[in-house]
Amino acid sequence: MTKLSEGAIEALINGTGGNDLVLQLMNIRRLEGGSGVVRWRVMMSDGRHSLSSFMLSTQLNYMAEENQLVPNSVCVLKRHVTNIVKEGRRVVVILEMDVIQSAEDVGGRIGDPTPYTEGAAKGPQPVQNPEPRQPLQTQNRNEAPPTVQRGFNKDFGKKGPSAMPGTPGGGSKVVPIASLNPYQSKWTIRARVTNKSSIRTWSNSRGDGKLFSMEIVDESGEIRATGFNQEVDKFFSLIETGKVYYISKCTLKMANKQYTTVKNDYEMTLNGESTIIPCEDTSDVPMMQYDFVSIDQLDSREKDSIIDVIGVCKNVQEAMRFTTKANKEVTKRTLDLMDMSGKVVNVTLWGETAETFDGSGQPILAIKGAKLSDYGGRSLSASFSSTLMVNPDIPEAYKLRGWYDKEGHAMEGQSVSEARGGGGGGNTNWKTISETKTEQLGHGDKADYFTCVATVVYLRKEYCLYQACPSQDCNKKVVDQHNGTYRCEKCDKEFPNFKYRIILSANIADYGDNQWVTCFQESAEAILGQNTAYLGQLKDSNEAAYDEIFQQANFNKFIFRNRVKLETYNDESRIKVTVMEVKPIDHKDYCKRLIMNIRSLASK
Amino acid sequence: MASIVDVPKPRVNCSMLSQHINRPVCFVGRVEKVHPSGSAFTLTDGDGKTANIELNEPLEEELSGVVELLGMVSNKGVIMATTYTILREDKGITFDLELYNEALKVIHDFPQYYPFEMAASG
Repeated sequence: MTKLSEGAIEALINGTGGNDLVLQLMNIRRLEGGSGVVRWRVMMSDGRHSLSSFMLSTQLNYMAEENQLVPNSVCVLKRHVTNIVKEGRRVVVILEMDVIQSAEDVGGRIGDPTPYTEGAAKGPQPVQNPEPRQPLQTQNRNEAPPTVQRGFNKDFGKKGPSAMPGTPGGGSKVVPIASLNPYQSKWTIRARVTNKSSIRTWSNSRGDGKLFSMEIVDESGEIRATGFNQEVDKFFSLIETGKVYYISKCTLKMANKQYTTVKNDYEMTLNGESTIIPCEDTSDVPMMQYDFVSIDQLDSREKDSIIDVIGVCKNVQEAMRFTTKANKEVTKRTLDLMDMSGKVVNVTLWGETAETFDGSGQPILAIKGAKLSDYGGRSLSASFSSTLMVNPDIPEAYKLRGWYDKEGHAMEGQSVSEARGGGGGGNTNWKTISETKTEQLGHGDKADYFTCVATVVYLRKEYCLYQACPSQDCNKKVVDQHNGTYRCEKCDKEFPNFKYRIILSANIADYGDNQWVTCFQESAEAILGQNTAYLGQLKDSNEAAYDEIFQQANFNKFIFRNRVKLETYNDESRIKVTVMEVKPIDHKDYCKRLIMNIRSLASK
Repeated sequence: MASIVDVPKPRVNCSMLSQHINRPVCFVGRVEKVHPSGSAFTLTDGDGKTANIELNEPLEEELSGVVELLGMVSNKGVIMATTYTILREDKGITFDLELYNEALKVIHDFPQYYPFEMAASG
């Protein structure tokens, strides 16, 4: 039978409880927080005493929700914080806990615990060693200082065995960010600023103001802090991204997840009493906390989710300036990021980051808090709250660099974003025609896009030209009134003339298969090598020359970028392939790609 | 023996010359040094390695850029060239020797798919 850590409850109340306390769960209760956040209150026993003021930290809520925590189960409390709330009541926040014996295995209550009442067992001297086993420092997850917080009793004068650095000017203990909550006010954190915003101003009916925010991390977690008006003046110039500070006496509140990507249920606001003091000894404070998502996993993530990503910056486009609808001038820049999954994703940078970004030499790029969009397959946007690190000093970056220099650079990299018109770039969804059929492209909910090298084997020249509305942006087919005027239904107008437009059905083939495709204006003109106005003229004047153009266009090879979608007309489904773009073949590129494909096939 | 023009000539680079001694080959490289006599010159291949070329008759023209030549490989690994042609680079696309070299390796790595030497041995 499992032995409970007798005396642990008392120790916890006194703030002297160590780690790895074995306790029996007696009761668990769900509390609805005012802000819609669910908290779980737990009653625990050490066999001698029971205490009902345990709270599950929200990141452990899943344990309760998955019914892992049921009465009588025996748990080992690995990490906790004892907080003093109003009227000196103490609450033990459970930060990490494992169930070591299920309720069925235990069978019932261990011992005969009595509810612990403060003062009843409280002696003036520290209680005896609260548990049979010595808390093992090495069981902490890393070398970070133990996350146990040893209470705030004034009489707790001497330092514990912890390696915790003291705070300048005495004050409260350094606590991990993960343990911060609104019920506790005396704390100091020691954390690194990973992102600092610029000063933003607002002006509305209630007045003007300014604010800035920053993201700070320590080994336990991260949190966002915002300063307004006076605090902007006081702290903004002091804070430097990348530096470590002691921060204390800020107001904590529930985080508004809409505006933040920081993984913390709370956020803090700097107030008049807040202090921020630079810290010199920073080696053990992590630089930045990332939770990298592999690019091939982006497909399975929700749209608009905020993720961290790391990759090699394969290609980078020039910065582009444009004016938004709100008449704001904005700069953006897109780049292609590839990681070890061999997939590539399109990333958009904005504003100053876009202007100053230097993608030369294919650097490693880590982005914290990029927003996932489903625009064009999957793409990422590094918004103003994202942090960009070029060649960051983290193991993932070195691993990636090694991989890329050794093998990654030779890989084609399949894009999870759809190639944009025009530029194209090296990240295209290359397929042979037979692959598009075996892989059933276009059968999904969304249209698929693929690019192939193919030869035109047949052009259906009949009915490919039509008479369209001559107005600038209307290409609607006009009705010949047979009185010298042409009527456009869309414009609701009659015109004395029309312009020729083209929709060309073509059959294209590669070594394995062929496919009927539909080409609109530009792509049809590219295949035929003539503009539509001229074709229309020939059709009406010189049929032989007109036919000749279609003959000449046969058996030419192009790169086709196509959209494929299963379309249903009258209960009949068929695959419709529309050509988005026709380009001449760049033979060097084509050769490189073929060689790469041969090598990768051979290595399988 | 049939003229070199009529027999199969595997495409090789410098590192493959030793396996083709006394056999006809096709070699593409960039002209480096031409001997003052005009009957010998050196070519570098896509690997950056140098091959020595000897001609029966001195050159009658300036040689530069990328050339493709046919010839027999001597015991010493010198190519005794029978004929050559300059791949002109002034007509737009320049010849990518490195890429050519990669293609060459593919051909030699997968002889089952590029059976150009079958006729030579048969």
